[in-house]
Parts: sequence; C-alpha cells; structure tokens
Amino acid sequence: MVNIKKMTLGAKFRIGLLALALILPALPFATDYFLHTVILIYLYMVLALGLNVVPGFNGLLDLGYVGFYGIGAYTAGLLTVHFGFSFWTIVPLAFLNGALWGVLLGAPTLRLTGDYFAIVTFGFSELVVLFLTNEIWLTRGPLGLPGIEPVSLDLSLFGGPRWEFVGEVPYYYLAIALVLAAVFVMYRIQDSRLGRAWFAIRDDEVAAVSCGINLLTYKVFAFAISAAFGAVGGCFFARWVTFLSPDMFKFWESFLVLCMIVLGGMGNIWGVMVGAVVLVSLSEILRELLPLLGLPVEVRFLGFGLIMVLMMRYRPAGLLPIPAVAAQMRSGRVRRKKVKATVGLNK
Amino acid sequence: MTAIMDIRKLSKNFGGLQALKNITFQINRHEIIGLIGPNGAGKTTLFNCVAGVEKPSSGEIIFKNGERSESIGGKKPEKVTSLGIARTFQNIRLFDNMTVLDNVKIGRHCRTKSTFFGAVVRNRTQKEEEEEITAHACECLEFVGLRGLNDEIASSLAYGNQRRLEIARALATEPRLLMLDEPAAGMNPQESRNLMDLIHRIRDKGITILLIEHDMKVVMGVCERVVVINHGEWLTEGAPADVRNDAGVIEAYLGTGAANAA
Repeated sequence: MVNIKKMTLGAKFRIGLLALALILPALPFATDYFLHTVILIYLYMVLALGLNVVPGFNGLLDLGYVGFYGIGAYTAGLLTVHFGFSFWTIVPLAFLNGALWGVLLGAPTLRLTGDYFAIVTFGFSELVVLFLTNEIWLTRGPLGLPGIEPVSLDLSLFGGPRWEFVGEVPYYYLAIALVLAAVFVMYRIQDSRLGRAWFAIRDDEVAAVSCGINLLTYKVFAFAISAAFGAVGGCFFARWVTFLSPDMFKFWESFLVLCMIVLGGMGNIWGVMVGAVVLVSLSEILRELLPLLGLPVEVRFLGFGLIMVLMMRYRPAGLLPIPAVAAQMRSGRVRRKKVKATVGLNK
Repeated sequence: MTAIMDIRKLSKNFGGLQALKNITFQINRHEIIGLIGPNGAGKTTLFNCVAGVEKPSSGEIIFKNGERSESIGGKKPEKVTSLGIARTFQNIRLFDNMTVLDNVKIGRHCRTKSTFFGAVVRNRTQKEEEEEITAHACECLEFVGLRGLNDEIASSLAYGNQRRLEIARALATEPRLLMLDEPAAGMNPQESRNLMDLIHRIRDKGITILLIEHDMKVVMGVCERVVVINHGEWLTEGAPADVRNDAGVIEAYLGTGAANAA
C-alpha cells in the first residue's frame, strides 16, 4: 500500500487534482457545456504535451503541428466512415500514421535550422488544409465529413456488454485516460537516454554531436513522436464531435497550441498543461463575457495577443519556467550564436 | 611504438584561404603529444578536421584502433566519437542547465542503445543500461576529481571544475584518443598543475592524448613530443626541449630576427 503520510507535498497535490478530475462529472455544477469545455481542455493538454517535444525538448520552432492533428482526425474519420473500425484500433493506427508523416516531413527538412524550419512546417500545415479541402473524392472537401460513429466499447468477445459512448461523461473519462497516458510517456522520456539526448540538442548542438548524438536522427524522432501525439489527439476529436471539416485545422490551431506551451512554460510537462487550462478556459469565459460588454466574440483573439505580449515582456519563459529555457530567453543573442555555429554540422 | 593516428598531407581551404597545407604527422599509441603554433596557425582547424566538424579539402586521416584502421577524414562527428575519438572545446561547451551528472551521462550516449520503446516501457535491458550509465558517469566524475558535485548545475561550477567536467564527459565516451583544446586556458598555476596531473592519469589509463596548448609550462610539463605548425604548415616536431630552442619556432612566435637575438 502507498503510505499517504510519506508522500511529498507535490505528490499529494497531484493525487488531489486527479481525484478532483475524476469526481468532477458528479458535481452539481457540471453541466454538459461545462464538461464539454473540460474535455476540450484535456484534448488541448494532449496536443500541447505532444507539441512540447519539438520546441520544448528540442528547441525547434514548429508552426505546423495542426497538420498532424488534421491527419489524425481524418485518418480516424475516414477509417470509421468507410470501414467501421473501432476507436481502439484506430488510436494506434493514427499514432503510426502521424509518426509516418512526421518522418516524411522531418527527414528532409530538419536539416534546416531555426526560422527556416519553422517556415517549412507552416507550409506543411497549410498543405494539409488544402489537401483536405480539394481532394473531394476522399474527404468530401468543404462539405465536411459527417456521421462519424461515436466511440463504443465492445466487450462481447469476453462475454461483456457493448457500451456506446453517449453524452459527455464517457468522453470525459476517455480524455482523462489520454492525458494520463501522454503525461506518463512524457515523464518516462524526460528521464531517459532519449530525453537526455534531446535536452543536449536543445542546450548545445555542437557539444551534443561531440557526445555521439546524431542530430538529424534524434530531431526526426522527436518530430515523429510529436506528430504521433497530435494525430492521437485528432483521432479523439473526430470520434468525439463526430463531424470533421477542413477549416477546423487552420493555422490558428497550431498557433493556439504553441501559445499554450509558451504561456505555461516550454519544456515543462506541468507548465504546458497549465497553459492549456488557462487558454481554453479564457477562450470560453471571453465568449460569454464579450457579448455582455457589447463587443463581438472575435475580440477574444485580441485578448490572446495581449496576453502573449504581456508574457513576453514579464515572464518570457512561461508561468512555470524550466531553467534551460529561462536561460535562453535571458540571453537571446548567445543562442543565436550557437545556432549559427551549427550550420556547418547539418550539411 | 605503433601509431594510433596517421595524418597524411592534410589540407583544408576556406574559400581562398589555406588554413592547413599538407600537414603530415603521426600520433603514437599512449603518448601525450602537443600541437602548438602561434594564433591562427590552424591548430583548431586541424582538431575540427579530425573530429569531423570540418571536412578536409584533401589528404587522409587514418585512425588505427587495435587491428582495424579506418580513414576518418570527412566522417560525421558523431561517427568519429563512436569510433573512439573524444574532444573538449577551446571555449567550454557544457550543457549549462543540466546537472553535472547528466552532462556526463550524455557522454555515454554513443556507447548505449535504448530509445523510445525502452524509455517508455522500462524493460530490464533498459534499466540495466541506465544503471550502467549512471555508474560509469559517477566513475568518470570521481576520476577527474568532481566527486560530490553530481547534482550541481553545470554552469554554477567554478571555471576549473567546468574544464574538468568537460574532460569527464569526453572520457565517458570511452575514447582511445582524447583531444584537448587549450585545457589550461584561464587557469591559475595551481589549477594547471592539477590539470597536468590529471592528463598524466588519463594517459595511464591507456588513452592517447593530443593537446593544443598555449601555456608553455603545461606543454613542457606533460608533452612527450610536440608538433609545431605555422601558417597552416608543418614546421617541426620533436621533444619539447629541442623544439623550444629551434630557430624556426622562435621565429614563428617572435618574428624574424628574434632567433638571432636569442
């Protein structure tokens, strides 16, 4: 048995949070709308944790994350609509498909450094949206992909019942499971040979190479894992809202997820989750609040912009910063120098 | 004496500038060899060519590890490291925000294997490997004299200790040849004496050492042989005492006429 008295304060806090999350649907104020918002928070947590691997762990700017999210969502949607695959088969398939596209995009482009790489990823996400919009034979284009079956859990093989996910509550617990899985994987990676190699790349590429780390391999690996998590998020999204359309995967989404990790603290697992909580709930609060003030709902984007500006001014490394990122923010010029010095290595 | 490295007619051009011209020399097994020359002579370029950071324009670098001998000119730096050549940098390059222990653990990268699967599943192989990494890293830290500083952040160490940490990280890659780029730069006499002692102890482990150094006390104190280059050309080589009195060397350092005055 785990001894509660022996646990550290941090561990107690985490267990408390988890307990609160688990009983949340039973609380009186938990309307469907409220749960929907919380599920959205969990979804963005998974996305933010996935994206965090690239800018947070490796120090590479990725502006095209939503492309993988879209690929995952459409993988799930199409497989469900045409072949009736169950959610549980689709998750690993979406994971692999995301990773595959991560490798296909990363292997040729991760030789680029800094801003050039960011531009390529940006182009990629636009490409995905264009593909989804124009390949009507496959995706029905702007008409969208309706009628995706919701998730169901079929235990009849083991003599159990078949359970359809109706309403928000089952999705709520499914989302929690996804977040827990993502956090678990990230924690284990963080404290492993793979994680150390990534942190080495983030800190000093030249020194990392001299320790025998193959930059390209490890960056592609990071990109693939990040993409795979994005695709799993998309897969959940598709089976949850049961309708997909290409404009759900516009650049704005990439930017939003990036904002979450910058706001929360790049490279910090807890930080990026806090970022997701803050930005999603803020978005919902502003959606209610702004009409009361006689302003259009779109003004909330201005609010996001303002928050980012204030963050950059007063807490550039995020709400929960890690030392590595904080140091880089303090000495932007030093970091630039290091990037320059690596140009010769990536040829 | 058998050679561990054979550098043959090595040249490196940067555009119109010839940084290295037909450099030829050998490094013998288990020796401490110094590479000296005035500023801009091409010492660090030579290092970079051997380490794989720069691609030689022409010439060969043969690395002999046991029975195998391999041409490493133009090989990628991570490959060179895994073959058994480690280096330190002229301006210290540590992973500043990681702990001392993690810095050295990263040095074990090229001798270990586990990746994503191992990290997530934590199977037995991975656990054993992780234990081996930690044990070896601690051993390296103790060897260079940084015991008890495992959990310090690398950038918080004193300058001399940062140099030692960089050497520990290089040792963690299990090199056959260790290249030190100005390890005594910025050290006080006490620190450089300790460094000389450390270099001797590394050699006693059976590791060959190639050393770039400006501090002549260190060069004279540890090197068994010295190669002098000037303007990218091989000038002379020999025992430290002979090289010190060589007219060509004095001229290279102090200018024409100085040799006569001395």
